[in-house]
Amino acid sequence: MRIGVFVCQCGTNIAGTVDTEAVARRAMEYADVVYATSYVYTCSEPGQQEIQRRIKEMNLQGVVVAACSPRMHEPTFRRAVERAGLNRYMFEMANIREHVSWISTDKEANTRKAMELVHMAVAKLRFNQPLFSSKVPINKRVLIIGAGVAGIQAALDCSDGGLDVVLVEKNPSIGGKMAQLDKTFPTIDCSSCILGPKMVDISQKENVTLHACSEVESVSGYVGNFKVQIRKKATYVNWNACTGCGECVRKCPSRKAPDPFNEHLATARAINIPFPQAIPKKAAINRDYCLHFTKGKCGVCKKICPVNAIDYDMQDELVSEEVGAIIVATGFDLFDHSVYGEYGGGRYPDVISGLQYERILSASGPFGGHIRRPSNGREPRDIVFIACVGSRDASVGRPYCSGVCCMYIAKQAILTRDHLPDSNCYVFYMDIRSPGKNYDEFVRRAQEEYGVQYIRGRVGKIYPRGDRMVVQGADTLLGIQVEVEADLVVLATGVEASAGAGELAEKLRISYDQYGFYMESHPKLRPVETNTAGVFLAGACQGPKDIPASVAQGSAAAAKVQALFARDAIETDPQVALVNERTCVGCLKCIMVCPFGAIQSKTLRDGSIKAEVLASVCQGCGLCNATCPPKAIQLQHATDNQILAELNILCA
Amino acid sequence: MDQSAASGALVDSIRIIGFLCNWCSYGGADTAGVCRFKQPTDLRVVRVPCTGRVDPLFVAKPLIYGADGVLVSGCHPKDCHYAVGNLYARRRLEVLKNFLSFMGIDQRRFRYTWVSASEGQRWQQVVSEFSETIHAVGPNPLARK
Amino acid sequence: MVIGWGTGYDPLHVTPVFLRGLEDVSRLIWNPLCVQNLTGYLVKGALTPPLEEGKKIGICVRGCDSRSLVALIQEKLLSRESLHIFGIPCRGTLDVRRLMNESGLSQIRSVTIQGDHLVVQNDEEAHRFPLERFLARRCLRCRHPNPVIYDELVYQPITPRTAPEDAYRDVEAMEARSLQERHLFWSSELDRCIRCYACRNACPLCICQDRCIAETREPRWLTQRVNLPEKFLYHFIHALHLAGRCTECGECERVCPMEIPVTLIKEKLNQITRDLLHYEAGLDPEALPPLLTYNPNEAGI
Repeated sequence: MRIGVFVCQCGTNIAGTVDTEAVARRAMEYADVVYATSYVYTCSEPGQQEIQRRIKEMNLQGVVVAACSPRMHEPTFRRAVERAGLNRYMFEMANIREHVSWISTDKEANTRKAMELVHMAVAKLRFNQPLFSSKVPINKRVLIIGAGVAGIQAALDCSDGGLDVVLVEKNPSIGGKMAQLDKTFPTIDCSSCILGPKMVDISQKENVTLHACSEVESVSGYVGNFKVQIRKKATYVNWNACTGCGECVRKCPSRKAPDPFNEHLATARAINIPFPQAIPKKAAINRDYCLHFTKGKCGVCKKICPVNAIDYDMQDELVSEEVGAIIVATGFDLFDHSVYGEYGGGRYPDVISGLQYERILSASGPFGGHIRRPSNGREPRDIVFIACVGSRDASVGRPYCSGVCCMYIAKQAILTRDHLPDSNCYVFYMDIRSPGKNYDEFVRRAQEEYGVQYIRGRVGKIYPRGDRMVVQGADTLLGIQVEVEADLVVLATGVEASAGAGELAEKLRISYDQYGFYMESHPKLRPVETNTAGVFLAGACQGPKDIPASVAQGSAAAAKVQALFARDAIETDPQVALVNERTCVGCLKCIMVCPFGAIQSKTLRDGSIKAEVLASVCQGCGLCNATCPPKAIQLQHATDNQILAELNILCA
Repeated sequence: MDQSAASGALVDSIRIIGFLCNWCSYGGADTAGVCRFKQPTDLRVVRVPCTGRVDPLFVAKPLIYGADGVLVSGCHPKDCHYAVGNLYARRRLEVLKNFLSFMGIDQRRFRYTWVSASEGQRWQQVVSEFSETIHAVGPNPLARK
Repeated sequence: MVIGWGTGYDPLHVTPVFLRGLEDVSRLIWNPLCVQNLTGYLVKGALTPPLEEGKKIGICVRGCDSRSLVALIQEKLLSRESLHIFGIPCRGTLDVRRLMNESGLSQIRSVTIQGDHLVVQNDEEAHRFPLERFLARRCLRCRHPNPVIYDELVYQPITPRTAPEDAYRDVEAMEARSLQERHLFWSSELDRCIRCYACRNACPLCICQDRCIAETREPRWLTQRVNLPEKFLYHFIHALHLAGRCTECGECERVCPMEIPVTLIKEKLNQITRDLLHYEAGLDPEALPPLLTYNPNEAGI
């Protein structure tokens, strides 16, 4: 190989503490080096032209530039050598600025170090091979997992952009947590009035395929070409036929089925439509409560259904979808407030979660929008709200702030005073977190206009006295113990990752933090990307979020997908693993460790088993290379021979 | 030749090899450079995509052949660019670390650590401490075989 | 086919036998000279033809060999369904070299274990020796004399010779020496290595065989130069490739023509994986070798 070495002075940035002339002179002694020089600003236009001129003049086959960090200018110089006709991978950089000239003023030691770094780069370059990227066509369909407000927004934006959307929702209806809310802060908009039209839009979009009552079973493939298996759970109602008339629900004799939409404040029929505005508005049978399944008799719904939609023999169905990108919008779950035994949540009927109170406030809720005590159905007079239940408390494993509770209790207190002007509302809080447009003003209105009494301090204990509850806590501003007798206690239950978040992350090969929230690619600069190409995040699955932030992320993820799909093909990075079939022994340890599922096994005609890398899935980490015992799988551009060549320079 | 000159010559020839992952620690070393954090000059960096790429044999080989120290540095656990590469590396390198001295190689010659791209100061500290350790341990006797 | 042990070229040497029909069964023997771990033949044999559909292969295993089987099953290099395992609780096998060198006996006709004694019959008379005197080192520290996986157990299970806490006493003895002494020890031991690769070839878990990086040029980890660093690196390669996998069957040490204690190197690695990763190879067919997996929450490393 004919190698040229260009030692950059970077003005005085390098030349000030490194003898660049000496480095260039020494480089002429290294094997295969036919040209070496020192140049004042190698990255400048004339500097790049100088490299190109020498490549042609000296017939160079490889180039080493000793300059700044390759993280800075490797792409620049790769393009430069490419313009002169070399393959962009026939180029190496030695970092003699950030790693040499800037960290020591000892010119002699620096010069010696720079020489060795150049020697290592030359030694590596001698093992470089031209590499070529390939193009993989993109399947321009997008899968969105979770149809809460973030998923709905992403689906609508993608659909508006002309993309085919596959929307998967695990519950019988889309809408997520927002559909359960009564009003939203800080505008007191009716939640279902602003969400409802979007839900209807979803059902009317021709390019949106909705799978409700469905979950992602498995994911294979890679950016541009994912294959997804979706499990459609048996509802025992043929949804193609069901018109959502609700006749079956009215006639169903089994009335004790759980009602998760109403947060278990009421019960539902065994065949049920979760709420009036449900999309799709279809009935589904809960087989644990259906008399046909539990007792083997009944069959009322089947008899009365005007369209013959009831199908007791229905089985789960697996549907395959092929997509080019995935948006994960699986939302959150509420902290289990019964963990705080001293509050008695789950034990005392009048100590309820924030979302339960939403259902009480909602006109479609169990009490028709009239505020009543779950225990006896009477109107409460004194209502206590307790903030940070399952937030900012390391003792229950939830040290983070849930972000929304301060705002939603302010809203609930305002609504309470609206509904029951004679009531007294108390809020026990730690700090008030209200950083958002019109948020702090909203909390002030609760305090000043609506006369909600804010008490700064933790509640230690809640216990019954007669038919009321006693809330004992501290007022840390006054430094006294306080005791409030209440008819109803609302715990501002915090946000946690949705159940099963980890399992889904494993299927998608995305990372998640210790609380189960999905990890974005960069906390500031890549907030909706993951480290798995083609998989994006939206909403509270990434961390606690309110509605505006979730909607914004839904739109952002949709924009990312559309940017990805604006091209017809993805150019793959050729710095991926490659199997040498002659030396592969088929032990397949590479498959066991690959974090991306990028390796598969194949059987040759002679019956022997070999590993095979899917180049477009491989991310180039090299873990397989480190694991492979006979080193048959080699990470291109960081092969064993290349690394060994660098080491050999230092051990000679 | 007097004693100090002799040891000076040896100390000058101390060579430390650093395997740095491209995404975090190489960036951290760059950050330290940009901030002009002064560091010893013994380190020679081999850039790898991920600490998961670092076969323990890449550490063992230079130590057997006479390098004075080997430093491996990657992204903090759970922050790996490739999700879990450093978690594999952590196990493999820890096993190696515990193994070296059994074979007669001073295990202080090998260190692995985690430095993110923003931790220039931490990088300076890691390099300075490790270099100091290696100077205290002295040149690798295997180099003179 | 069934793989077992049979009489070799003299009464002190046993050879693997491959039984192809009922008429071969009489060739099978079992005695303290049955030293070979036969499981390697299952994964690297030109000797074992590919299995016909639905057929199984039978194999005789001692406790230590059975752990090799488990390790191979874990790594999916063998399928449990394709095997019929004859498990043999083993009271130990002999270090034949030591017996020949140190017993002072010639014309040996047979050896049998009687309780704690070894009875060696030669042309003249029966000689009794304390058993431990001639047991192989691997057997002196044996914790798993009973097969951990089998279809049929041939004899009654027996009590292990060594308590788990004593398993690594040879390693601990080595560690009592200074760093420099250890360095000198291994330098002189490994310097004798002639790189014949017998240790690697006898190891049932060394699956690379002629693609071993000790010999390939692509990539080129080692040269053919005969010097100490190359020998060190070869043994590092062998040992580190077995880290978290080695079941301490001791075959590498038994076959070494230069009598280098190469198993001791792997024992140290196993002690590390036990203490650090709480893992012992070749016991649970469902487990994953610890260096082929990870745990995000492990602290202290």
